[in-house]
Amino acid sequence: MELTSSLAAKAYQSTRHATAPDPAGGAASRLAADFAATLQGGEAAATKAMTGQMDPHSLVQALAQTELAIETTVTIRDKVVEAYQEILRMPV
Amino acid sequence: MTEFSDALKTAASGMQAQAMRLRYTSENISNADTPGYRRKLMSFEAEMNRGQASGGVVAGAMKLDHSTLPRIHDPSHPMADEAGYFDGSNVDLVMEIADAREAQRSYEANLKMFDQVRKMSSSLMDLLKK
Repeated sequence: MELTSSLAAKAYQSTRHATAPDPAGGAASRLAADFAATLQGGEAAATKAMTGQMDPHSLVQALAQTELAIETTVTIRDKVVEAYQEILRMPV
Repeated sequence: MTEFSDALKTAASGMQAQAMRLRYTSENISNADTPGYRRKLMSFEAEMNRGQASGGVVAGAMKLDHSTLPRIHDPSHPMADEAGYFDGSNVDLVMEIADAREAQRSYEANLKMFDQVRKMSSSLMDLLKK
């Protein structure tokens, strides 16, 4: 069988549904939404503090919370990537 | 994770309340020579969230110290009456300095708690990073 780029594209197309995001939302997507909300809260607090509408305590608290969320997310992502690479290195 | 963020929020509310207390103290000190000025007092109240105590603290309503004002004898003062007396302020500088120092110590305690929470959460994440 001749391998052409169109054939490869077709094969990819047929397996796409497996990698499509789950619209119902699992635990991971809820976590991501929560993380995005925390980030947005931090940004809104920074903007408000810059324009003098918020006291610095709330700004520091919001930024510390954002830092906490980012650290958690980055750690989990690193762990997932590491697990993926571990699988790739597995001798077949 | 929510325990950490709640602890951060509580420490921040404590710092905010102490900053408010320091503000009243500085207002009292700057008005120590104002005739008829009564020193401002503040109270601390438990923070309520939907009818339940959230664990934080808020600065309560400002109250005035209604102790008697000292009568100061100075006939050249524009506010002096016929006898040469006028009402001074009831601010005691020693008391205000002590109050300011107390606010500073409480602020530091809250700041330490804030830092502690941050350190705890990051050491928890360090455990995962290995």
